[in-house]
Amino acid sequence: MARFFVLNWGILLILVAWEGWVAANDFNPIVMPSPQGVFMDMISNPGIYVENTSVTLFVAAVGLAGGLAVGTGLAILTWSSPLLSGIVSPTAVLFSSVPVVSLIPIIARILGYNMATEIAIVVIITFFPSFVFTTAGLRDLPHGSQDLFSVLGASRRATLRRLALPAAVPNMAIALRLAAAHAILAAMIAEFLMGTTGLGYLFAVTKQEFLTERAFGTSVVATAISVAAFLATSLLERRIRARFT
Amino acid sequence: MTGAAISIEHVTKRFPLKGQSAGVMALEDISIAVEQSEFVALLGPSGCGKSTLLRLVASLERPTEGTVSIGGEAPGSLAARHALGVAFQDHALLPWLNVHDNIALPFSLANKPVDREAVGGLIDLVGLNGFETARPGQLSGGMRQRVSIARSLVLSPEVLLLDEPFGALDAVTRRQMNIELQRIWSRQRITTVLVTHSVDEALFLADRVLVLSARPGRIIREVATPFDRPRDPAVMRSATFHDLVDDLTDALHPTDATAHAGR
Ligand SMILES: Nc1ncnc2c1ncn2[C@@H]1O[C@H](COP(=O)(O)OP(=O)(O)OP(=O)(O)O)[C@@H](O)[C@H]1O
Ligand SMILES: [Mg+2]
Repeated sequence: MARFFVLNWGILLILVAWEGWVAANDFNPIVMPSPQGVFMDMISNPGIYVENTSVTLFVAAVGLAGGLAVGTGLAILTWSSPLLSGIVSPTAVLFSSVPVVSLIPIIARILGYNMATEIAIVVIITFFPSFVFTTAGLRDLPHGSQDLFSVLGASRRATLRRLALPAAVPNMAIALRLAAAHAILAAMIAEFLMGTTGLGYLFAVTKQEFLTERAFGTSVVATAISVAAFLATSLLERRIRARFT
Repeated sequence: MTGAAISIEHVTKRFPLKGQSAGVMALEDISIAVEQSEFVALLGPSGCGKSTLLRLVASLERPTEGTVSIGGEAPGSLAARHALGVAFQDHALLPWLNVHDNIALPFSLANKPVDREAVGGLIDLVGLNGFETARPGQLSGGMRQRVSIARSLVLSPEVLLLDEPFGALDAVTRRQMNIELQRIWSRQRITTVLVTHSVDEALFLADRVLVLSARPGRIIREVATPFDRPRDPAVMRSATFHDLVDDLTDALHPTDATAHAGR
């Protein structure tokens, strides 16, 4: 218990100050809800929160997996052929620098106003770090290992499978950490702009309907899952790094 | 008898270097013929081109002039047949594989099933029992070198290239490894080129010892060792051995020899 206060005193202080500020000014909950009000809304409507959070997590996870797969696949293509590298790299850079918001209407026109479009958005946001880090990782080989594989008569395929890909794993873990938080954000933006479920959608609707306490509650949940995703992937990255270097 | 003869004919190797239009001349017009099943040791000052010579035989470099061939073939075809064993100056172990898997790697790259008995036997030979599941990061420098030696032998290659394989070992372990290597070599007779800075090691292991001059490397001394195989470590205490050590040490340090002569 004491440990909890030591670790979280900053957050607790903010909550207390916020509560005091709202009480002192006697704000209407529509203008500025109190932490207590937000908390009460969350525990009295767990179903709404749990359902929308699961949807967002699902979209983010599937999109993240897709993004990592696409990024790794493109990195392997550029590794295999300088010719393909000349096409893939500029296209990837171009794709990643277009503001994703402007892509949403186009993708929605193709895939429909549904979860497929939301997942596609997450893929577009997350593939780039994976592509960049994996491309670098495939070339960052242990000292002398390239000569070793050449002397042992390794095929190009075996070199990819037994040398380049394992060597790229720590970099892939970095990409995962960077992309995980982005995936949740991307999922929420897609839901916010065009969705019919999920935390982003919940936030858009409650804001419109002046359910400010629920809108704040949605933000709290979104923040919590982003932080959790960051911490989990950081831990994973450390484990992987210890295993592969 | 296994192995293939190595022929190095009039080889010159020049490396391009910024600021020097001629580049670095690492080797100049060098010719060496290593017979099938012969063990040749190379001695020479640092930077004289010993590693470069091994890299030429391993087809990791191409000669600027001259030709290198192994058993009449281009050196690259030996690697393609998975018949080349190499232990480099830097051990080049894969950090994500444990000791056993590092030693077994040549099998996988040759698309052959792993011969667990051969791997186990080599782990035994290099004295790494109990470390099979340790990863390179958990080993000392000398232990890593021993893993790399075991790996170079695991496929029973036709040609073995060893570049200062015992450099990071203490004197006792080094002597032990010399004796072990001598023992398995006498059984397998793989055509071998060993680069070393130790005159004793060269004499104890090789059939023929070549001394290279400072850069650009040229052969300045050649000694055939008169000891029978398999060799008893006792030969290192014989008078012939000591005479040859003195002879080669003089060839390696010509300035010392002149100083002695002047006195
Ligand atoms: N890739 C390279 N590019 C440029 N110069 C090189 C390259 N490799 C070797 N050299 C040069 O060639 C010369 C011989 O190098 P080499 O590594 O063969 O020496 P060595 O005899 O093995 O020395 P040591 O005993 O210190 O290992 C050196 O002067 C070195 O600077
Ligand atoms: Mg060297």
